[in-house]
Amino acid sequence: MDCKKRKDLHSVTDLVLASIQIYMITLIEMAAIAVNQFAECVTCHAWSPDQSMIALCPNNNEVHIYKSVAENWERIHVLQKHDQIIAGIDWSKSSNRIVTVSHDRNSYVWNQEGSVWVPTLVILRLNRAALCVQWSPKGNKFAVGSGAKTVCICYYEQENNWWVSKLIRKKHDSSVTSVAWHPNNVLIATTSTDGKCRVFSTFIKGVDAGKPRKSGSGSSLDAKFGEQIVQLDLSFCWAFGVKWSPSGSSLAYVGHNSMIYFVDQIGPSPSAQSVVLRDLPLRDVMFVSEKLVIGVGYDCNPMVFAADGTGSWSFVRFLDEKKSASSSARYGSQLTEAFGKFYGSSKQGTSNDKSRAGVHDNCINCIVPMKTSESNKITSFSTSGLDGKVVVWDLKNQEDLLEYM
Amino acid sequence: MASSLRLYLTCIRNTLEAAMCLQNFPCQEVERHNKPEVEMKTSPELLLNPVVICRNEAEKCLIETSINSLRISLKVKQADELENILTKKFLRFLSMRAEAFQVLRRKPVQGYDISFLITNYHCEEMQKHKLIDFIVQFMEDIDKEISELKLSMNTRGRLVATEFLKQFI
Repeated sequence: MDCKKRKDLHSVTDLVLASIQIYMITLIEMAAIAVNQFAECVTCHAWSPDQSMIALCPNNNEVHIYKSVAENWERIHVLQKHDQIIAGIDWSKSSNRIVTVSHDRNSYVWNQEGSVWVPTLVILRLNRAALCVQWSPKGNKFAVGSGAKTVCICYYEQENNWWVSKLIRKKHDSSVTSVAWHPNNVLIATTSTDGKCRVFSTFIKGVDAGKPRKSGSGSSLDAKFGEQIVQLDLSFCWAFGVKWSPSGSSLAYVGHNSMIYFVDQIGPSPSAQSVVLRDLPLRDVMFVSEKLVIGVGYDCNPMVFAADGTGSWSFVRFLDEKKSASSSARYGSQLTEAFGKFYGSSKQGTSNDKSRAGVHDNCINCIVPMKTSESNKITSFSTSGLDGKVVVWDLKNQEDLLEYM
Repeated sequence: MASSLRLYLTCIRNTLEAAMCLQNFPCQEVERHNKPEVEMKTSPELLLNPVVICRNEAEKCLIETSINSLRISLKVKQADELENILTKKFLRFLSMRAEAFQVLRRKPVQGYDISFLITNYHCEEMQKHKLIDFIVQFMEDIDKEISELKLSMNTRGRLVATEFLKQFI
């Protein structure tokens, strides 16, 4: 009898401890600041320059534009022109134009005239699906990667009132999965399902006025249009999600063999680092600063990578991680035990469910920085995935990451 | 016996967990098409190395992966001729109703008894761990089902024989 009483007492203490822990966790940890379920499944999304509107593709041939009205998201426009699934959206930071590309081989540039978005067809001259798109930093060109193993560089020709597409042909051995512009508006990096990452010059006479200024990449800027600056052959498997660092001095991309690659000194003799993950492969990456990279992918949880003083990159932690493990291991075990009591499940069960306890519950395939106008630093970003959620993350309260920002 | 089955299933579960990283990927060869690459096999660079997991000669599992689809083929234990017939009939019955199962393939891959085809669309609609649970549960149940069928078959045979032989007494 006495024994039973003591046992009851224990479980009550456990519960109290657990509830205190849960309360503390919610206080310390809130990397995800907003979660919005926009659709069943979101293939890609982009923010308007002032971040008051979001354009996203709900896994079909439409683009939905939502505007935040008094804490709520209201659908204000539906852009219908494509006839197959939309693979890429980008909203120009400088000109308030939206470019969309789709598996139907077409691309449209959307201009807002009054309250309507007017599409302009861009003849990409592709015979396969377009897979990804990005505006150049100045907003006068955009690059489209395609399943035709080519990259299209499109620019506006004033005299013809027409978007012209110039192709980089015969350089890729497979579909181009991702494109990224160097901050100098001339170089682009591409990744392909042949596992390689390549850097090209896209200097177009008349669009890029004069010789661009020399920067970190050195003499490679003198190259003609479509000239390959470097080919990185690090991955044995498909490569995805290439991005340049804010200064343009290094780039990062991921391989489907659960690796992430960091490349410095882009040019004739690049130096590369590969970091092997113990988790599922990544789909996309984003530089927060020169020393901090966020990767997203099949693990449904953003991963943080950081470079130490010597410049060597390593995995830091999952962003959506509960801090209980690091704060005190002793409470950790009691916590899981108490959770088990709450939900009537075994310890085994809860530990198995750990990976699905995060904000996203399906593969994350898109990560977009949210730049605020007052500072150049990126502190927040948004992710979207196959679970149809768009999650906004803020790094301001992540003390352990501040030193890298 | 049971523990070796558990190991076999855990191995398959973990392999599926790693292999089921699929994405929407349009065909590189045919315009405006989007087909499971693991079936088309048009671009060798889009396929990953197939994995065979064997418990013994009679029971094995082939997992073939590509960028947008995944094919799992199972060979079910068949100890004698009766089990062989039962398995064949039973799995044919299931395959004929493939659309009800969504991920079931109408025809098994050569050398195997039953195949599943999972595409990126299934991963979008359904949760990945539920899909894996379904496959593993199916493998667990199929053995049970076959041995139950065999038992009832034998019982029925015995019953019929007794009834028949009664008239000669």
